[in-house]
Amino acid sequence: MSKRFGAVAACDAVDIEIHRGEIHGILGENGAGKSTLMKMLIGLVVPDSGSILVDGASVRITDPVAAASLGIGMVHQHFSLVEALTVWENVALGDTGRLSRSGVRDAVGDLSDRYGLRIDPDALVADLPVGLRQRVEILKCLRREPEILIFDEPTSVLTPEESDDLFRSLRGVVEQEGRSVALVSHKLTEMLDVTDRVTIMRNGSVVERFVTTEVDAGMLATAMVGRDVRLRSAQEMSQSDTRERVVADGGGSLPVLEFRNVEVRESGGSLELDDLTFSLGTGEILGMAGVEGNGQRVIADLLSGLRNRSGGEILVNGSVVDVSQPGSAMDAGIAVIPEDRHDSGIVLEMTVAENLMLSDPSGMSSHGVIDGLRREKMAADLIERFAIMCTGPDAPMWTLSGGNQQRVVLAREIAAEPTVLVAAQPTRGLDVGAIEYMTDQLRQAAGSGVGILLISSELDEILELADRILVIYRGQVTGEMTRSEATREKIGRLMGGDIL
Amino acid sequence: MGGLLSAVWDVGTTETAYTAAARFAVVLAFAATGEWVAERAGTLNISVEAMILAGAFAAAMGYHTTGSVAVGLLAGTVAGAAVASVQAEMSHRLTADQFVVGLTLNILVLGIVGFLGSEWDPSTRTASVVEVPVLADIPLVGPALFGQPWPFYLIYLVVPVFAWLVHRTRWGLEIRSVGENPQAADVSGIDVNRRRRQAIYLGGLSAGLGGGYLLLGQVGRFDPGIVAGRGFIALVAVIFGGWTLRGAILGCLLFGSVLSFRLTLPGLGYELNNEMLSSLPALVTIVAMALFAHAVRQPEALARPFIRGLK
Amino acid sequence: MVEVVALYLGCGLAALVISGIIVEAVGADWSTVGGALLDGSVRKPGRWGGTIGVTVPLAMVAIGTIVSTKVGLVNIGQEGQLLVGAALATFASTRVPGPGPVVLVIILLAGVAGGAIWSGLAGGLRYWRKVPEVLTTLLLVSVASNLVGYGLKKPWLLLDAEAKRGNRNLVSEQLPPDTRMPRITLFGNEFTISAFLAIAVILLVGWMLSRTLWGYRLTVVGHNRRVARRFGISESVQGMVAMLASGGFAGLAGALMLTGGDFANYRLVSGFSVSIGWVGLLVALVANNRALAVIPVAFVFASLRTGSGFLASTGIERRVTDVVQGLIVLALLLPPAIMFIRERRRALAAAGSRV
Repeated sequence: MSKRFGAVAACDAVDIEIHRGEIHGILGENGAGKSTLMKMLIGLVVPDSGSILVDGASVRITDPVAAASLGIGMVHQHFSLVEALTVWENVALGDTGRLSRSGVRDAVGDLSDRYGLRIDPDALVADLPVGLRQRVEILKCLRREPEILIFDEPTSVLTPEESDDLFRSLRGVVEQEGRSVALVSHKLTEMLDVTDRVTIMRNGSVVERFVTTEVDAGMLATAMVGRDVRLRSAQEMSQSDTRERVVADGGGSLPVLEFRNVEVRESGGSLELDDLTFSLGTGEILGMAGVEGNGQRVIADLLSGLRNRSGGEILVNGSVVDVSQPGSAMDAGIAVIPEDRHDSGIVLEMTVAENLMLSDPSGMSSHGVIDGLRREKMAADLIERFAIMCTGPDAPMWTLSGGNQQRVVLAREIAAEPTVLVAAQPTRGLDVGAIEYMTDQLRQAAGSGVGILLISSELDEILELADRILVIYRGQVTGEMTRSEATREKIGRLMGGDIL
Repeated sequence: MGGLLSAVWDVGTTETAYTAAARFAVVLAFAATGEWVAERAGTLNISVEAMILAGAFAAAMGYHTTGSVAVGLLAGTVAGAAVASVQAEMSHRLTADQFVVGLTLNILVLGIVGFLGSEWDPSTRTASVVEVPVLADIPLVGPALFGQPWPFYLIYLVVPVFAWLVHRTRWGLEIRSVGENPQAADVSGIDVNRRRRQAIYLGGLSAGLGGGYLLLGQVGRFDPGIVAGRGFIALVAVIFGGWTLRGAILGCLLFGSVLSFRLTLPGLGYELNNEMLSSLPALVTIVAMALFAHAVRQPEALARPFIRGLK
Repeated sequence: MVEVVALYLGCGLAALVISGIIVEAVGADWSTVGGALLDGSVRKPGRWGGTIGVTVPLAMVAIGTIVSTKVGLVNIGQEGQLLVGAALATFASTRVPGPGPVVLVIILLAGVAGGAIWSGLAGGLRYWRKVPEVLTTLLLVSVASNLVGYGLKKPWLLLDAEAKRGNRNLVSEQLPPDTRMPRITLFGNEFTISAFLAIAVILLVGWMLSRTLWGYRLTVVGHNRRVARRFGISESVQGMVAMLASGGFAGLAGALMLTGGDFANYRLVSGFSVSIGWVGLLVALVANNRALAVIPVAFVFASLRTGSGFLASTGIERRVTDVVQGLIVLALLLPPAIMFIRERRRALAAAGSRV
């Protein structure tokens, strides 16, 4: 199966086989292509080429209805439930024919019993915790009696107990009724605990196929984050060794960024950051490795002033910063390259110059009036310095490619001469050249004394750049090591939740 | 204070006060019930005023040409749906801003009926009173609820039917889902904008019928100013009622009663602060929203247009 | 580009044709109607003055609306904000002593204050109690008209105790001659100098929105609230200021209507606002929220209104102009909608998916 979106190949000649009565895991990082693959199976995306065979017969899946008629059903990652309605009403949504409250309630009860997924059909979805909401999603899917169930990142919002419950039910479904499950995930432990076979995808292609009983977390991690490692040149190795030494020597001075027992609670009450403590030194690149969803996004949002913390302190150069005040983090010298630039990094509708100006608009004005010439000059300078490909300072942001938009963000943040630079997934979605450029820039910034917090789920990137590496798991730091102590396997296992 | 108490007593014990209140409230109820459906689907139609007006005018013309009240009411209903069609198609198929369209329709329909009304000058009368035996003899409220011109009784049909439609049918389930989480509804295979348009059409039917009643069951003579803001009050009633039908009807009764006092109180010998009364619906609703905003649940997607792929 | 212009012309023409049909349907002659409209608005000597007199408040309301729209708010209460502004202006005119020109300025400022307070109420409710401003601004319109109606009954508020009560008209005192807006005559047309004020304001606001720090911050909030927050721009401060400004402009429009004399001969009367607030909102929307487009669009809408004054002599009901106006607005809404839909269809076809 192949699918391109513009110049990017989301799926490149992907072959996959799912057998009856099997739970087949599809493992890969964000952007690996597994979501696109599943969307093709469920009819939300039309493949460019390739074929799908169900029970040996070639089929065309043009929309979810067609997929449903072939017995393929998906439980979505971002829930598609209507909060204001009850469980049975949500389950009934999408049916046709007369609405029968008792009929649907009975069906829900029936399914609950069969699969051990207890739920009150009359409960309001708004009152349900996330784990139970997912149960409703699953029931919605099971109702159609699919032969092939696709689960997209099902446990990203579940506690370990809820995850166990889910997998027990899945096992039941598969064994008792001879159905198949495709489990799409980036979590290593899940793959090991639940699946029969695993297919690993990376950058749109299949890189490995395993029988689960024959692998361990380390092997999975290695395969998932890349075997085509750019071997670091001897020069680079010695450079980073030097830096390590410098950083180690300068250990006596004040850390530029410190997290002390930071706690962030999400609205449902569970902890997203749990007693998080670490420190970052001048000119140090601290790599924060971890599988997505373990709190990285929260840290970046916190340091962007977009989230509030419920406990602990954040210090910059030894003074406490109250990040809940919009802009205070920025004023304290924290620059951020966000994971999703469209969300909090750039304004698509404005021009390149206007975007570059975001960090210090008053610097481009006198007496409240924007000095157009000064801004244009600033923009032209940065465009040249960072080689941003665009028609000029007045080019609308939406006309730039993703890589160049990322350069605008980088340019703006670095030009602000920050004390700390948070780079969250900085090279995601970029081509090789852009990745190299970004890594160079980050190294240069560190060289000039900026403390860099590199948050990434790309192990390559972390191993490439970081002086010191932390692993984050479920909102806590579970491991810390210097670059020289780090190995892929060690990190991989910590990322998967092991305690060393 | 004593004056207020005696006023309340007098109003509470006079039959005509109840009758006037009921008549006022029913027009509001026709419109509010329809708009309730539309707002549950996530649309906000300030063109309700235009729908009622179109209904009243069409009813007048219908009666004028055929002499039949039933035909007049039917014409009113159709006219209301016609106005609704412009609102629905432009806002939820052609993605035009629903406030602009609503506003424009109010001005446009006022112009059309004013223009046509002076050219064609329909003559009409009110429908005759039909008393329900036994029930109409209940003291105080009997004549108000059961001794009215027959178009009045249609409300006893419309309200339960609409309630059933929204709460007991699949269509209603889809309407509610579309108003709360259109993205989820879309993923479940529901055509979001189609349902929204249908809800608006229903609103137009009901408001148009209300206009027909206003003309043939209450006022009896057409004038471009006949609606006098009732459409807006109906809107307010839906909001005041927290987007439940029961609440909306309660709001209509409340506002209808208060506004009818403008007629009944002077008749009982009281002097009024007209403006205070007229502004009560809006004031009360604003205060209620300010105090209870967190408790009142508006349909999540209210007044937010749905375009697949755009959040 | 050609496609866009053709689309607009086509839709506008369709609107005119339909209007013509409606006119003919009632037995009138469309060319007479068209002629009367043109005569009343611009053709007959001196009519430009009247049309300009209506353009001014429309443009003022519209520019205010653009400010609140740019920050991402939905203000549909201009009619009420205008009324409260006019009322406060009237109140000031009867209470504030001093030389004429000074009082005039105070009257205008009172208008701004009145409108700003009214919109500020809605803004406050939005940012402190999370009540959607689309609802509160709408509701406040009804409260405003009742408030002003009440004020016009009380001599201690707005009522002119000595006005002739014969035909039961409740009006305010007439503005003394020295507090009225000065008029000038250009090319045989007489109008107030508020025309120049309006042009100046529109140019100023347009400039401020695109070239000042304030306008920049406002626009960022309107585009992306998270980005704004990240960079220390307070959504509630920007929003509140924009809301106050929006109401302030509507209130100023009311004060200009009062001091200009074109509407009720320098008095505040019941029904004073004559839908200028609503139509001003329409002007902003039709002008696609572009400051420069406000003046020509406002002029077109004003022409329809003043043109209708001449229809009486042709024996045709005045309201036909409301019909024409409504049809034109609807027609003008179609081109952007059609283009948007075509773009979406093309994009979806290219992506080849249902996403």
